[in-house]
Amino acid sequence: MSWDTGMPLLVLASSLLPGLVIFFLPEERIVTRTTLNLAGATLKLALVGVMIWGALYGHHYETRLPILPGLDLVLRADPLSILFVALSSILWLVTTIYAIGYLEGSPNRSRFFGFFSLCVTATVGVALAGNLITFLLFYELLTLVTYPLIVHRGTEVARRAGRTYLIYTIAGGTLLLLGTVWLYTLAGSLDFTARGFLSGLGGAHHTALVIIFVLLIGGLGVKAALIPLHGWLPQAMVAPAPVSALLHAVAVVKAGAFGIMRVVYDVYGIQFAATLGVTLPLAIVAAVTIIYGSMRALFQDDLKRRLAFSTVSQVAYIVLGIAIVGPVATIGGLVHLVHQGVMKITLFFCAGNLAETLGIHKVSEMNGVGRRMPWTMAAFTIGTFGMIGAPPLAGFISKWYLGVGALDGGQGWVVFILAGSSLLNAGYFLPILYAAWFKAPPDSWPAERSFGRRETAWALLAPPVVTALLTLAAGLLASAPFSPLQWARFITTLEYAL
Amino acid sequence: MPWLHWGVIAIVLPLAGAMSCFLWPRRAIPLGLVTALGIVTCVAGLGWQLVEQGAQRYAVGGWGAPLGIDLYADGLSLLMLMATAAVGLGVSIYSIGYFNREKARYFWPLWMFLWAALNALFLSADIFNLYVTLELLGLAAVALVALAGGAEALTGAMRYLLVSLLGSLFYLLGVALLYHSFGSVDIAILAARVESSPAVWAAVGLISAGLLLKTALFPLHFWLPSTHASAPAPVSALLSALVVKASFYILLRLWLEIFPPTSAVLGQLLALLGATAVLWGGLQALRQTRLKMLIAYSTVAQLGYLFLAFPLASITGWTGALYMLLSHAVAKTAIFMAAGNILYFGGHDRIADLDRVVQRLPLTVTAFALAGASIMGLPPSGGFIAKWLLLEAAIRSGQWWWGGILILGGLLSAAWVFKVVGYAFTRSRAPHESRAVPVGMEWSALAMSMVAILLGLFASWPLALMEIGLPFGGKGAE
Amino acid sequence: MNTTLSAILLLSVPGYPLLLAFPALRSRSPWPCHIALLPAVILLAVPAAFSVDLPWLLFGSGLAVGERSRWLLAMAVVLWGAAATLLRAPANQPESNHLTTFFLLTLAGSLGAILATDLVGFFTFSTLMGYGFYGLLVNGGEMAAQRAGRIYLALLILADLALFEALLIVAAVTDDLSFGAVHQAVAPSASLNLYLSMVLVGFALKAGIWPLHFWLLPAFRSARPAAALLLGGVPIATGLLGAVHWLPLGEISSPGLGLALQWLGVGAMLHAIVAGRIQGQLKMLPAYAAIFATGLFITALGAGLADSAAGSRYGDLAHLFIVSLGFGLAVLTVGIGWLAARSPDAVAPAKRAGDPAPWFERWPGAVVRWGAQMGSDTLPRLRASWLATAGRLWQTRAWQSALDGGERSLQRWAFAITLLLLLGVAVAFIGALS
Repeated sequence: MSWDTGMPLLVLASSLLPGLVIFFLPEERIVTRTTLNLAGATLKLALVGVMIWGALYGHHYETRLPILPGLDLVLRADPLSILFVALSSILWLVTTIYAIGYLEGSPNRSRFFGFFSLCVTATVGVALAGNLITFLLFYELLTLVTYPLIVHRGTEVARRAGRTYLIYTIAGGTLLLLGTVWLYTLAGSLDFTARGFLSGLGGAHHTALVIIFVLLIGGLGVKAALIPLHGWLPQAMVAPAPVSALLHAVAVVKAGAFGIMRVVYDVYGIQFAATLGVTLPLAIVAAVTIIYGSMRALFQDDLKRRLAFSTVSQVAYIVLGIAIVGPVATIGGLVHLVHQGVMKITLFFCAGNLAETLGIHKVSEMNGVGRRMPWTMAAFTIGTFGMIGAPPLAGFISKWYLGVGALDGGQGWVVFILAGSSLLNAGYFLPILYAAWFKAPPDSWPAERSFGRRETAWALLAPPVVTALLTLAAGLLASAPFSPLQWARFITTLEYAL
Repeated sequence: MPWLHWGVIAIVLPLAGAMSCFLWPRRAIPLGLVTALGIVTCVAGLGWQLVEQGAQRYAVGGWGAPLGIDLYADGLSLLMLMATAAVGLGVSIYSIGYFNREKARYFWPLWMFLWAALNALFLSADIFNLYVTLELLGLAAVALVALAGGAEALTGAMRYLLVSLLGSLFYLLGVALLYHSFGSVDIAILAARVESSPAVWAAVGLISAGLLLKTALFPLHFWLPSTHASAPAPVSALLSALVVKASFYILLRLWLEIFPPTSAVLGQLLALLGATAVLWGGLQALRQTRLKMLIAYSTVAQLGYLFLAFPLASITGWTGALYMLLSHAVAKTAIFMAAGNILYFGGHDRIADLDRVVQRLPLTVTAFALAGASIMGLPPSGGFIAKWLLLEAAIRSGQWWWGGILILGGLLSAAWVFKVVGYAFTRSRAPHESRAVPVGMEWSALAMSMVAILLGLFASWPLALMEIGLPFGGKGAE
Repeated sequence: MNTTLSAILLLSVPGYPLLLAFPALRSRSPWPCHIALLPAVILLAVPAAFSVDLPWLLFGSGLAVGERSRWLLAMAVVLWGAAATLLRAPANQPESNHLTTFFLLTLAGSLGAILATDLVGFFTFSTLMGYGFYGLLVNGGEMAAQRAGRIYLALLILADLALFEALLIVAAVTDDLSFGAVHQAVAPSASLNLYLSMVLVGFALKAGIWPLHFWLLPAFRSARPAAALLLGGVPIATGLLGAVHWLPLGEISSPGLGLALQWLGVGAMLHAIVAGRIQGQLKMLPAYAAIFATGLFITALGAGLADSAAGSRYGDLAHLFIVSLGFGLAVLTVGIGWLAARSPDAVAPAKRAGDPAPWFERWPGAVVRWGAQMGSDTLPRLRASWLATAGRLWQTRAWQSALDGGERSLQRWAFAITLLLLLGVAVAFIGALS
């Protein structure tokens, strides 16, 4: 097996093997566990770096294992998957550091980190999947390995949240399976191809293809939390903060959005999907989700729930970018996949810091917290302004491309959706900032832990600061080579054969 | 002919093992294990042989059909043998820790005897030998069920015995009718001679009815849950994984070879019963409060899947059903083992009182969850491949409603699997005593569940083996 | 002067204050606010016009200083220097530490906006300026200051939205977003009118031009000295500058729009005179002066838009006007502050505290409270009730007894049923076959 065929497997193994080993580590082997975790995350990052470099120099990374006659398990590094893999491996490293700090001294850490690694493995598998059945495989695996993370605390509330999560995701997975099998019987192939592989099917199949599209998007929409399939997401907030961060930024929600991308671009082909007339309904669903999610976020007092509804709204941006047919909007959707991840993970890290250091879980408890934890709140501020879409942060770039793409594609109404959403985003984020920076702090915090002169532990503070800087860099340096924006442009040239 | 050794040895070896375990009860465990390993080697050898030379027929003692005893091995029987070998090895290792010395004395000879009957059944080439092996299988299984002791187990065993005898009786009547009409019991000869006539229809009806009773297809499943739940865990595993499948194997074999080209109605009827079984079994499983009863009802549901292939009548459909059989055998074994561990650990199997077994028996719960993933058909697992093939066949044949049943059944299985797993994370209200579970029991459960998962990743090998001798080639092809 | 040096100098004009805005980076410097102005002063001292292209920044951006912007820069440096001196009263308190941060952020935004050469750069810096100025207004202030801040913030967000729409319209037409290119690209475009109206509304909100001057009066009433001094030279001047930069002056002749703007400007001036007369508070004088001056500006702008020839001549004048407006308002504010310090009676107290919250604050609050009451379920109450219904259905006696009864009768009459069923199945099979 040459390097080029083994590479995707190595990338998977770099988190799978540490995860499996960690399961069997006794609880008190902290140093070994930490070393394994960090080594795996660093190795994965390095491998992804090599893969990006190689892809630029014309290497073709692909692994094929036959699973059924005529169907292979394909892992392939195309530009789109590299975008997602790079995002998840960078954020995994950061989140691992954070999780080590967050879970210090809590029980069942070996189990937690084991599943944590498996979760990333599944995500990377989703990213590298070269056909729909491989995608389905890792997608379902992701469902399974996330469940123990959600019920990690072992409380009754956690069990219920886990149940809700499963009801939604298993049902979604079933729809996806049905659509995939049906598609296979029609097309005889499931390999992702730039600009799709279905346009050759005759007009007689078009009704079936539309139904399949609905099935597939329905299945993926559950994880992407499109309305009305988003009910599990706010409930899943009972999970520990690193899990929420990973769930919202990289793993589950993103896997859904990424899947929609794959289906629209690499299965149907965007132009063919537009001829089938399925993109406009998708755009409308996304638009409704954007507005509805923001509205609901406005009403939440629980910080993490507010962030959760914000995710519902923000991930729909990605879907919107896909559903507006046109290269510019595609860039917007693709780049938001990365930007939303970086920004949202910052916010969740900060929320976790507040909960862990001061015992703050509600927005109404955040008065004056900026004085107590200036670094955390500075990172939070950058994250929120990014979400609102203020220049020069990452969110501005996404909104810019979505807006221009909408005008380009003749869908002017989208601009108003964007404006309304920005307004609502400001409406639910700025009061938090106001309370944190300008209101007087209370006499005592709900449950304060002291960390000496620092505001909180290093491992908790460094990750949000780093991701906040990434948010800033992704916006400021959008035109620099290797920025998410440039990579998204590159992918778009492939998908539209520009 | 070198292959003959493998096939015949696979039957003779467990018989010898049963004898020796009976004669030297103190050495039963090592003797049993050696035999188990020997059988696995035989099956592997047979498999290699078949891959090299294709399907094989062998006349024991050199007489051959129509008078003598013929053995026939093709992809279908090979796969059944392999499933039996895999499950058998796992159960053998598991039983080391499970049974105390007293029980082990009876368990090992009976189990070896059962294994011999199974192997003989899968290799038989005529319908009378099938009857004989079926009867032996039933008797051994009844004795194993009674092994648990106690009123419940004895009632279960008694009921099982009666059902088993009744089913065999019906089957025997059908065989007699066929023999009377065509003067042979050899499958190949019958296949050539059989033609539509009232006697054949009656025979088909009787045989099918008897086999359906033994396969516990809804509504003839009433005996299964209590029997399977009251038996000791390794025995439950054997019953669910192998014994009920043996009668399904006979039905499938006869359906493919002997039964006259039938109207679509018959296949639809079987599938309808299967679909009802899937839903009924799934719903009943969800309602159970005891773990082993739950698993037993899930077996009822899973057996229903197998019958969904009959109206599809395509190679994909048959392969799917057979793959379902294989992966269910492995996964259900793992699940019963895990349930046995939990029962052993806490002394009860009330689902609501599982009390954080996920911390205390992590390997067992992992095994349960992995095998559960296969049962509900999540990728990557054998169950997923089977479901995929069946779904594909259903959609291709335009009978998508059977696909809908598959999907619904998967959802019901997911519901019960996660109901159990969810309670494994939480603390129960009443804490209870616990005793340590032997390592071998935990690991063998995990190993079986790993096999269930690997069946999903390396499906192309078993699927290629199935094609040997084209068991579905003749009638199944569209 | 070589390019590298000039690039560093230009970048450090907004960049240095930004760096200093981090408390950790300025903890040892004694005069952080003054030091932050240093690069700008050096830039003023070097009499050459130079520019730097930053293709990696945002969508490709740049900074430049030329004849016109030099004036503005000079005005900004003087005003910011003065404000920094006013600010430097209580040191080493968390309050003042915060204030310094906001001061430096606003400073960076304001200087950057003056040097920006393209739409996105200007937009970015003016947004930074806006949010920073909000902090400056609100930090540690009274109720009235907070309310003024909230109004300013709300209008700022609306203004940014309008300008963002304008940006999108431009970006759909051209890829080059420098001012000159945009003027040429947008002038013949079909969406010119939409663009013009978005830009005008956006900057009118930002600069507080009548009739969109909602934030101006409360801000002047409640701002503390340092902020009040800057009101004219920073938010208002940046807003006006934006209008000059963004509007394609000299490229279009739109008499209708021009006339409308001129009338608006006249209206603004009349309003300033009449309302200022009625109000009669000395402290509010700079506010009405600002409304009057911006009215004047708008009138001129209308003339510029109405005729392309007038428009091209308008640019220089507009810059000078903005400079003098900034200086003038600052002098006025300082003068009145000085008067107030001498005779407190001359300046009436700010509006009494405790007046009811205005509608635009009550309504959003009410909506949020209503939403919070609706519970956190999706489609309030609906999903919960579905689950409950499903649960009840599952627990329903009839269901349970059907499932139980079915199973039990199968068990109880096992053998009778078996025989019957077997016969039935056999018959059915025979029937099916024949």
